[in-house]
Amino acid sequence: MSHIHVPDGFIPPAWWVTGWILCAVVLFFLLRRLKGEDIRRRMPFVGVVSALMLITMNVPLGIIPLHLSLAVLCGILAGPALGFLAVFVVVLIMALFGHGGITVVGINTLILGSEAVLGCYIFHLLRRRIRKVSAAAAAVVLALLVSTALMIGVLSATVGAAEILPHDSHEATEGAENGSGEEEHDFWEELREVRYLLFTGWTALLALLSAGILLETLATVLIVQFFNRVRPDLMEGAHALS
Amino acid sequence: MHLASLDHMSNDGDSPLHRLQPGIKIWMAAFSVAGVVITGSVPRLAVYLLLLGLLTALSRNPARELLQLAVYPLFFSMLFALLQLQHSWSAALLVVFKAMAAAGTLILLISTTSYVDIFGCLSKYLPPLLMDAFVFTYRALFILLDQLQNLLRSIRLRGGYHPLKLALNLRSSAGMLGVLIIHAFDMSDRMYRIYALRGYRGCVPMSRNAKRPGLSEVIALAFSILILIGMVIPWPL
Repeated sequence: MSHIHVPDGFIPPAWWVTGWILCAVVLFFLLRRLKGEDIRRRMPFVGVVSALMLITMNVPLGIIPLHLSLAVLCGILAGPALGFLAVFVVVLIMALFGHGGITVVGINTLILGSEAVLGCYIFHLLRRRIRKVSAAAAAVVLALLVSTALMIGVLSATVGAAEILPHDSHEATEGAENGSGEEEHDFWEELREVRYLLFTGWTALLALLSAGILLETLATVLIVQFFNRVRPDLMEGAHALS
Repeated sequence: MHLASLDHMSNDGDSPLHRLQPGIKIWMAAFSVAGVVITGSVPRLAVYLLLLGLLTALSRNPARELLQLAVYPLFFSMLFALLQLQHSWSAALLVVFKAMAAAGTLILLISTTSYVDIFGCLSKYLPPLLMDAFVFTYRALFILLDQLQNLLRSIRLRGGYHPLKLALNLRSSAGMLGVLIIHAFDMSDRMYRIYALRGYRGCVPMSRNAKRPGLSEVIALAFSILILIGMVIPWPL
């Protein structure tokens, strides 16, 4: 859900260059650790998991201006390291299609990868204490909250908190014509202008984010329930912390 | 998903762009995207977009498919352009033109160069395990898309989809994804055994074009360097 569709040239170079460098460093350490027959055996599964994420991310959700990713589920099934690798593959391929700029691949990988990694760790922490379905739901909700916060944080820091909120373009045009475009836009004033369906302000923002988190959680929970009925061994063998 | 049509365009197309060496095309795309990202000039980006349109026409790929792909970056750039309208029209246009120029360049690259060739060139510089991930993703995507279409058809035939029953559709979709993931597990295991039989030890060998660049490659590369220089240097217009 937290895949940023920011086009190239919008985020300042210092940020996306840093994003790429951090992403490369993480991948470097991951790939150094990933060796052996077991990893080679699981590489086709990484490809398969990446393909699944690609397919899922291209499914439109109608009135909700977000898309599913199943990054947390893929992290649970593939493990945090291979899950992060799969996310990088997905984000780069999406950038080649024009879904998000090529320059923001580093930032997108770090944010979406954090979903996969955190989701895996939280799931394995909780699975011995509560039911697998509840553990998966909790993992998705918590991982998404963190990655959404990261996404909002990055966008706020790069383009300004007031800038990332949708607001009335008519007012924006009038402001530009009257030469008042130089004024600082107060974040709280802008937030009051946000509209989503019947909601405005904080409610609109929370409704939008909640809708995305709810859908992702629902999809993951239903899939995990399906596994429990049909192939419980898949969740038993879900790779932990490798 | 447009991957199947892009794959067809890049593998079966025939044009001067298709015939260029993959490595040269990747460098061309890199120089052009660098120019697009660095420049802050709307007129230069407009000129570049015109050039891109001409190159796309030269590639002889179906314009309708490529325009469909261009809708995504256009849509998302419009959202960010609306935010920039409060500054000026030119700031908003800059956002849209940059997005379209960068995305258009990459779409032109992948519609004239096959996925395998692109990652074959990149395999010189990237770790083998990462390249394996890209290769297996490419292979799995087509197989899973095929299975997905069959599953969707099965769901509709068995009454698992109704336009007005959201709960039913959600349960069916989740079951479908679940079946797809189960198939994916089994497929990945089979894939590993197939590759292991063929000598896979952690690095899928990829063929790379070892020919020296010809005149057309040199001209194309020089053209892209000129584009970069033209975009970046503040010529008085």
